[in-house]
Amino acid sequence: MSGGNVNESRRNFLKAMVTIAGLSVLAGMLRGLEVLVPPEVSISGFPRLLLVDENGNPIKASSIPINGKQIALFPYPLDNEPNMLLALGDSSGSPVEVPPTTVIIPQNNVSYDFPGGVGPSKNIVAYSAICQHLGCTFPELTFYPPGVKAITANGPMDKVIHCSCHGSTYDPYRGGAVVTGPTVRPLPAVVLEWDSSTDELYAVKMIGPVIYGHPGYSSPTSQLVKNPTGDLTGGSPISGTSTIVKYYSNPAS
Amino acid sequence: MDMSNGGFWDKVAEILHLKDVPFMGVPDYMFSIEYWLGAIAASALAWQAITGLILLLYYQPSDAYDSTMAIIHNVPFGSILLSSHLYGAYIMILAVYIHGLEVFFRGAYKRPRGAQWVLGVLLFAMTLGAAFVGYSLTGDVLSADAVNVGRGILTALGLSSAIPILFGNGTQLDLFTRLLGWHIIIAAALILFFALHFYLAEQNGFMPDLKESNYRAPALLSRSDSRLKPWWPRNFIFMLAIVLLTWGIILLIPSVLAIPQVLSRVPILLSPYPGPSPTSPEASSVPAYPPWFFLFMYKMADMPFGLAMDTVMGMFIPLIILLLVPALDRSDALHPLDRPWITALFITGLTWVIELSVWSAIQPGVPVKMQWFAITIIPPVVISFGGIYAIRRVWFKVKGELSGSRNRGAGFRLSKGAALSLGYLTSILAIIAIVVSFFLNPIMDGPYVGVMWGTALISFAASLLAYFYVEYIQW
Ligand code: FES
Repeated sequence: MSGGNVNESRRNFLKAMVTIAGLSVLAGMLRGLEVLVPPEVSISGFPRLLLVDENGNPIKASSIPINGKQIALFPYPLDNEPNMLLALGDSSGSPVEVPPTTVIIPQNNVSYDFPGGVGPSKNIVAYSAICQHLGCTFPELTFYPPGVKAITANGPMDKVIHCSCHGSTYDPYRGGAVVTGPTVRPLPAVVLEWDSSTDELYAVKMIGPVIYGHPGYSSPTSQLVKNPTGDLTGGSPISGTSTIVKYYSNPAS
Repeated sequence: MDMSNGGFWDKVAEILHLKDVPFMGVPDYMFSIEYWLGAIAASALAWQAITGLILLLYYQPSDAYDSTMAIIHNVPFGSILLSSHLYGAYIMILAVYIHGLEVFFRGAYKRPRGAQWVLGVLLFAMTLGAAFVGYSLTGDVLSADAVNVGRGILTALGLSSAIPILFGNGTQLDLFTRLLGWHIIIAAALILFFALHFYLAEQNGFMPDLKESNYRAPALLSRSDSRLKPWWPRNFIFMLAIVLLTWGIILLIPSVLAIPQVLSRVPILLSPYPGPSPTSPEASSVPAYPPWFFLFMYKMADMPFGLAMDTVMGMFIPLIILLLVPALDRSDALHPLDRPWITALFITGLTWVIELSVWSAIQPGVPVKMQWFAITIIPPVVISFGGIYAIRRVWFKVKGELSGSRNRGAGFRLSKGAALSLGYLTSILAIIAIVVSFFLNPIMDGPYVGVMWGTALISFAASLLAYFYVEYIQW
């Protein structure tokens, strides 16, 4: 110690103060890590969107091929939320009416009402094309039409939506209910509206669990399944008043 | 081209103070591949950094898939750039695995190298992390699923608030911008951690042959050991050969696989190029697969315990055990049979990884019933522990007779004359391969150029090794 003498206890006190100051600065600035969290993008409510083809012409309900060889996908309510549009039929290709039903969520036994199919034969339905188990999308998650069997935990099954990632199976004839795990949640359904005068279809809202990966998807409370608002967050909005239906070849056909 | 006395290279060495480089020289017997496995991983890391930075000039997060395909189809030598970046990662992962196993079985995690081991395990985890993110950057059909699985795992672990941090706010643009950002951030951290790992390796020195330390930790090479020769030029030449050999392999394998006649037969797990776009018709023909180094995890996710538990068992517990190895086994015994339980544990773990990976490749995504879980998980434990303890008993009996009876390097030795001719031959081969590469088109003939470059680098590395052997190894 050159210059004045500062006694030992004062020097130790200073050392402690410097350490505490250092730690508080560090701890306080850790808050800055929030910079890593991106601002949310979301829309305020479910839009009512007309289903159109790639040229912008409305899709006519009566012209959707039954158990089509191709899978029709359209985004709703955000552009990263693909859904399958299905016109269900039996093995001879005649339409099968999909009645309203109550869907139970195996995860927590919460249930919700699925409104049933729409269109002239009440056989048109639409479900999220993102698997509720771990988020595999079409083509891993796809519809197995009558006569094409998926290998499921319950043996070979047709007329199901099956995911080849880990084997989850859903029933499109019963509101997307779970047939086999590992998924513990049904597929979210798009509520469709059919305008009988024009034969056009509208997507108006979602029902069921929040779409995979969006806020709240893993905790389907009875409030949330009636109005899955989490679907409205975490993706770019679809511009305009229509959503485009595109056809892809179905690996299961 | 005499590198030791007088002449051009001596001048260079003088100007650059290469003789004063503070790296440690090694005795002759360490110029053998098992001492350089870490160097191979580091060479691959260097290749990844170089090719990654160049890819940055072309990759567009706003158009992930198409810009990736454009690198393959439109950029001169782009197909080589992209496929060797993929295979550079594969080789790096393999090298990290083998390096880690070698270090484990030699007991090199024991004092004073505990911190080196811990850093090594973290590097291993970061390598897999960077690989996961990099794999998703292509935006092909499997990458979309990989990202969604990542979301599901985070949610199952109760970490859903980390999803936007890692994967962005949900828009495609934000997703790929973030993936690219994280890929670079993890790579940068990897390089930093590697520098620390390397610094410790230099400070602690190479681990000598176990006999020298009588199979007891600490196994140290004394800096005053008379067998140590200066780092420059011997270590430099050898290291250069290792680096170029690694790079040659990284170029050669994917280029051979990318030759059109071969490419059509390559299983998707080993394809040098990304899969189809998620919106293309071919996408439907692609089975759901993770990259090969995550196959074990994919099977773990099929286990009947729920995703959170599956992930904890498949990822976190193994990682924590690996990190704790130096603390769990504090004895100073270096021979694997002198620390039987941890050896058996390691062999068990390794068997599980291989078993689960193969199973996953054969039966991807088929849920596993409890009895099948037991049938795969229990036998390796019994066999490894039983086997190691049984071998140990035999070994104790013959230990005395074995020790001292073996002479190091008593096996085959290449004559200097043969090494000389090998050196000539490989030099010429390297030159020929490079000349041929000039006749090939950088866009159309990408795979063939890659084959030529790979051959040239491997041949040149071989000629360097021949020179090294002739010039510096005495016996
Ligand atoms: S993601 Fe569909 S079954 Fe796992």
